[in-house]
Amino acid sequence: MEVAEPVVLADVPWVTIVWNDPINLMTYVTYVFQTYFDYDEAKAQVLMLDVHHKGRAVVSSGSREEMERDVAAMHSYGLWATTQREDA
Amino acid sequence: MFTRDDAGILLLDLESQELELLTQLYAQLHELLAHDEMEVDADPLIQLMNMNGPTSIPKDPALARLFPNAYLDDAEAASDFRRFTEPDLRRKKLACVRDVLAQLQTFEEVSSLDSNQGQNWLLSLNDLRLVLGTRIGVGEQDEEEDEPELDPERDPGYFLYDYLTYLQGTLIELL
Repeated sequence: MEVAEPVVLADVPWVTIVWNDPINLMTYVTYVFQTYFDYDEAKAQVLMLDVHHKGRAVVSSGSREEMERDVAAMHSYGLWATTQREDA
Repeated sequence: MFTRDDAGILLLDLESQELELLTQLYAQLHELLAHDEMEVDADPLIQLMNMNGPTSIPKDPALARLFPNAYLDDAEAASDFRRFTEPDLRRKKLACVRDVLAQLQTFEEVSSLDSNQGQNWLLSLNDLRLVLGTRIGVGEQDEEEDEPELDPERDPGYFLYDYLTYLQGTLIELL
């Protein structure tokens, strides 16, 4: 008899958050969002301004594995990024 | 500064003082990144699985800025993430710095760069600014201000930081 996998937790997506810092240039942060996530300039700028004014922005969401990949990529660009459950 | 010629080729134009300054700064960044490269674990299986990274954030604030925690509220997950990813991240950053140092060693007054070389400049200039900016405390004094007020008179570090910001800015504009 097959037992159904519990899916309750798997349905909660993870997010990548980029935090504000006083060193990275606004133009650079926008460039990173466009280059790595392939976001258009308008979306990349909105996210950059969110980081700048609100102190943080959710820049991507998906599985935990995907988010860890995004966080590692952000760190390679020198952006300060973390991951967590979307509802955390 | 960085420019593009009519054919779209990326060019870097440096005065001799700039070349000297950048060579020194990049040598220091190289030393910082290479200095405490983790002792390589002797177990080849562990090496193969890339599990020999550190488990806690660097004590040096500048290195902590280059290798931040990936989890805010989960120390165990942050530690695991670091163990698996920091050696690779450090290798990538070092490779960037070594490429730029090699370019600087054979630099002529104006040098053309391919896109890979340009990318290495972009990332390593950013790392340099993160390290220097952390050292001189950019953003700590004027938290209300959008841009930190830099006073070149106060600290030569501010002059260098300002220069690196300018140089990186000329490159970003071309991308």
